[in-house]
Amino acid sequence: MEAQDSRSRRIWNWFEVRYRVGTVANAMVHVKIPRSARTFYFGGITMFFFMVQVITGVLLVIYYQPTPDAAYGSILFIMNEVSFGWLIRSVHSWSANLMILFCVLHLLRVFFQGAYKRPREVTWGVGFALLALTLLFGFTGYLLPWDQRAYWATTVGTEIAGALPIVGSALDLLLRGGSDITARTLSRFFGVHVLVLPLSVLLFLVLHLTMVHQQGLADPKRENVNDETLPPGDFNPGSPESKRQLLPFFPNYILDEIIAWYIMLAALIVLASLFPAGLEEAANPLSTPAHTKPEWYFLFLYQGLKVIPRIVGVTLPIVAAVVLLFLPFLDRNPYIAARRRPIAIGLGVISLVGIISFTIWGRFS
Amino acid sequence: MNQQRQPDEMPQTQAPDPGRRQFITYLLGFSVVATVVGVATPIAGYLWPPIRSSSDTGGRVPVGTTTEIPVGHGEVVAVDDKPVVVVNTEQGGIKAYSAICTHLGCISKWDPQRQVILCPCHDGRFNPVNGAVISGPPPTPLPAYQVSVEGDTIFVSDSQA
Repeated sequence: MEAQDSRSRRIWNWFEVRYRVGTVANAMVHVKIPRSARTFYFGGITMFFFMVQVITGVLLVIYYQPTPDAAYGSILFIMNEVSFGWLIRSVHSWSANLMILFCVLHLLRVFFQGAYKRPREVTWGVGFALLALTLLFGFTGYLLPWDQRAYWATTVGTEIAGALPIVGSALDLLLRGGSDITARTLSRFFGVHVLVLPLSVLLFLVLHLTMVHQQGLADPKRENVNDETLPPGDFNPGSPESKRQLLPFFPNYILDEIIAWYIMLAALIVLASLFPAGLEEAANPLSTPAHTKPEWYFLFLYQGLKVIPRIVGVTLPIVAAVVLLFLPFLDRNPYIAARRRPIAIGLGVISLVGIISFTIWGRFS
Repeated sequence: MNQQRQPDEMPQTQAPDPGRRQFITYLLGFSVVATVVGVATPIAGYLWPPIRSSSDTGGRVPVGTTTEIPVGHGEVVAVDDKPVVVVNTEQGGIKAYSAICTHLGCISKWDPQRQVILCPCHDGRFNPVNGAVISGPPPTPLPAYQVSVEGDTIFVSDSQA
């Protein structure tokens, strides 16, 4: 034990002398967070699923072949011939769904706690971009197995984009790389899915984390935006006052976060084992299967398009997305507590209930 | 948020006894190792190339007819994705060998002038009757494949003789 300690200490010192790693480590993890902050670890869990996606995605690319002739066969090969191939693909599929779920939960937490308000307007915007990129991940990844579900869900999805006013047909052409879904669509979806989106998410994630690090977590107990009780860098860590209100990020918060990650890893393995990712028949452009529906996170859009006029069904979500992006600038109410924000909370709850109802309706229609 | 986890603040008099602390350290080490092994095992298994079953084609593959490969001729054909040189000589009749040169893996071919199997890379020459090395650097003969002729169709079995 003692020998171990001194050995790790010596290794640490070797780097410390050369690269001053202690300063970096201190700046990164030795920060304080408000004792009253409740994040439910949603953001960190979303990041965990992103890391799982990177690892399993790299593994899948090793056997996957992105052409219409070979894609379906290569997925069959991964599922049936490669050791643990079914597990890797099923974990990738489940982790994708859970990443979207927890990204949305994180957004809801930040919304209802008023954590998007000044001075965190841009952090919210970057987070919004991360959600949009995550949804694009889902949309582009869905086509890659090139089975009937993949092919027709993408047909419907690109049709929805094509319903946009003015830019619709151009956007449809751009997405598909032609007038139909062909080998060109597959290779551009593949390129976007494995190169463009991961690099973009990485960039925005680093920005997001840096911003959170610089400002610290929002305290949901503060009265209003002008009442940031503990501006970062303006407290005395030793004082009894700050000890009462602050908690070290490392190891307290990190430990809880890692426990949450372990639980999520266990959930992933259990879900992937009990409900492995399926595969339908190979894509057939000449035969649409009955009941073609998009994935659950696009169901509310799909159902909206079925029951309200097309132009409204497409425009309304876009307006809603723009409102969501600029929310910190549109919502001028300085108060944090939910009971002092009746309009924002009310609109939020109505939107949430609407989206959930349309999703359930779409699922069972 | 657990408010108890602040080792720095713990008074020295209440420090846990070293045995308990060591047990926790071992437990932590075990967890880390178990996690790494649990994650690395499926990844390593996944990366290891799966072995294709060789009985896919059911044993025999038709490679041509006796009119396509008459006496004094030879042809390189694919049998189960592997190159095989099929030769027809007066002395040995129809024979088939792996076309992969035993020297450095180039693909050998039939040389109609010299009536030998020739590797173009380093001029290794093989006897078309038994696959033995005639000259050049190859260390061992070409492995033979089983050949059968039905009517005028030549079959090569997909496993080496």
